[in-house]
Amino acid sequence: MAITILPPAPAYLEPQDDISSDDSDVDGGVDLEGDSGMRPSKRARHSSDQELVTPGEIVTDDPQWMRGHGTYVAPSTTEIVATVAGTVQRTNKLLSVRPLRARYTPEIGDLVVGRIVEVQSKRWRVDVGAPVLASLPLSAINLPGGILRKRTETDELQIRTFFSEGDLLVAEVQSLYADGSASLHTRSLKYGKLRNGVFMSVSGTGGGGGVVRSRRQVWTIDTVHGGGKVDVILGVNGYIWISKHIEVVGGDTAITRIEESVSSTVYSSQNDEIAPETRREISRIRGVIEILVQEGLRVDEDMVMKGYEAAVEVDSENQGESNAYLGGEAGKSLIRLLSAT
Amino acid sequence: MPLDTSTYSLALLRLDGRRWNELRRLTAQISTQAAADGSSYLEMGNTKVICTVTGPAEGKRTGGAGTGGGNEAEVRVEIGIAGFSGVDRKRRGRNDKRISEMQTTISNTFASSLFTHLYPHSTININIHILSQDGSLLAACLNASTLALIDAGIPMRNYICACTAGSTSSHSANDEAADPLLDLNNLEEQELPFLTVATVGESDEVAVLVLETRVQMGRLEGMLAVGVDGCKQVREILDGVVRRRGKRILESAAV
Repeated sequence: MAITILPPAPAYLEPQDDISSDDSDVDGGVDLEGDSGMRPSKRARHSSDQELVTPGEIVTDDPQWMRGHGTYVAPSTTEIVATVAGTVQRTNKLLSVRPLRARYTPEIGDLVVGRIVEVQSKRWRVDVGAPVLASLPLSAINLPGGILRKRTETDELQIRTFFSEGDLLVAEVQSLYADGSASLHTRSLKYGKLRNGVFMSVSGTGGGGGVVRSRRQVWTIDTVHGGGKVDVILGVNGYIWISKHIEVVGGDTAITRIEESVSSTVYSSQNDEIAPETRREISRIRGVIEILVQEGLRVDEDMVMKGYEAAVEVDSENQGESNAYLGGEAGKSLIRLLSAT
Repeated sequence: MPLDTSTYSLALLRLDGRRWNELRRLTAQISTQAAADGSSYLEMGNTKVICTVTGPAEGKRTGGAGTGGGNEAEVRVEIGIAGFSGVDRKRRGRNDKRISEMQTTISNTFASSLFTHLYPHSTININIHILSQDGSLLAACLNASTLALIDAGIPMRNYICACTAGSTSSHSANDEAADPLLDLNNLEEQELPFLTVATVGESDEVAVLVLETRVQMGRLEGMLAVGVDGCKQVREILDGVVRRRGKRILESAAV
């Protein structure tokens, strides 16, 4: 039997598509004409005709441009050099490079999901996936027992009864400190401690997928198979919370009345009884989001709803018992359904 | 294990059939691990390295105004050499001198090349796992770290690209006519004098230069020139990896 000698090959070869087409700017800098728009950062991207730059690449040597994030000016020159791999954005005369993938950077007004990592005497330190921990001052939460009262020393002593280490919460970024760390607040009934659900973390920004800033970050899904209502909270920082929907007691009373009803139940860490049907739908939604991230699609209300409908459809095609598992074949047919629409 | 270098002068081909100025096959992937902020997998010939980057994240407090509490991010590097990676199964202690020197070299290099001042009192952790070693270990670690840091979106001045360069005859042979060699494998590293050089992007600016073997002063310049030239080739390859990945991301985001 003849022996064939195979040439050695690496374990994995990236598809060798032609990259010379966008490589023509070796010494000339990137073409700054063309529409990159004044889109706010982290918004869903819809065009692929954006220029890609890599660290060390000269974006422009024209002194009329001002440098923004993701760039630096080499000493004693006017060249603006990219420091991250990403796309060039210009806002009037400001040049910045938006990274393809980066850790979450807090901005005022962001809805975030976080986890308490440290309890201090007058504040909590919260992990929101940012380079530094965010802080949640005691004065920025809804204290139990009535209308926006001042915090007292008793509250300081009982700080662990509100949030303790490991608790999850949803909050809004109230302000930013000079070092880029965020100060959070939960002074609304929309915010507060999280329970009755499941946490998941997707990469904050870029990588193709991830949560994007959108009109609605929190919504309720009417699930099938008797699952009832399920809340989904997409934190801008890539932390996601999926939980059983709880009707607010006396939902239509005056706003002051609601404030009064903020009692110790809001800070309860005890889960309610969750029916198996609801649990299955929660895990189905989680599976959908996982597949969206895996496929590099954006995670927002629109995509999650589409994905959920597709997942239910895939499930109904199966004979026998309903199954929320979306790995393997079910996942593949879900992706097919999503790409067909 | 003595290396028979006498055949080199006849055919000008090295043990693995390369010429003096040829790199081994260099392939890399980025974003290999979804859970990390940035990750990469790099093969330089038979040297295989996995690198993950976590951070910048708030590190554990190391006592008041320690190193982590400054106005700049701290770069921490941890290298793990797998037991099966080399020819002999060597047990390495917690503070192996060789490993900790590599860690310090990598950490110092990136501390000066990254924009650490953008992330006050936080830590950037670089974890490197060596799966297979066949020479150019430090160079592979530096290249893999560069890719993982780019994947993590941490701003840096430029790519750090590294490779090794050697000389065709040993120190004792004292051969004036020795040719410089590029990108040595393990066998060559054991026998021949070599240095590891890393440059900042495509410039001639040297960021790392490590020479642990004895070599005549006259040969150094040639070795260095070949090494710097090799780094430029490495940069092109790494840049290609990043661009391909970026293009794919932009395409999928456009859907």
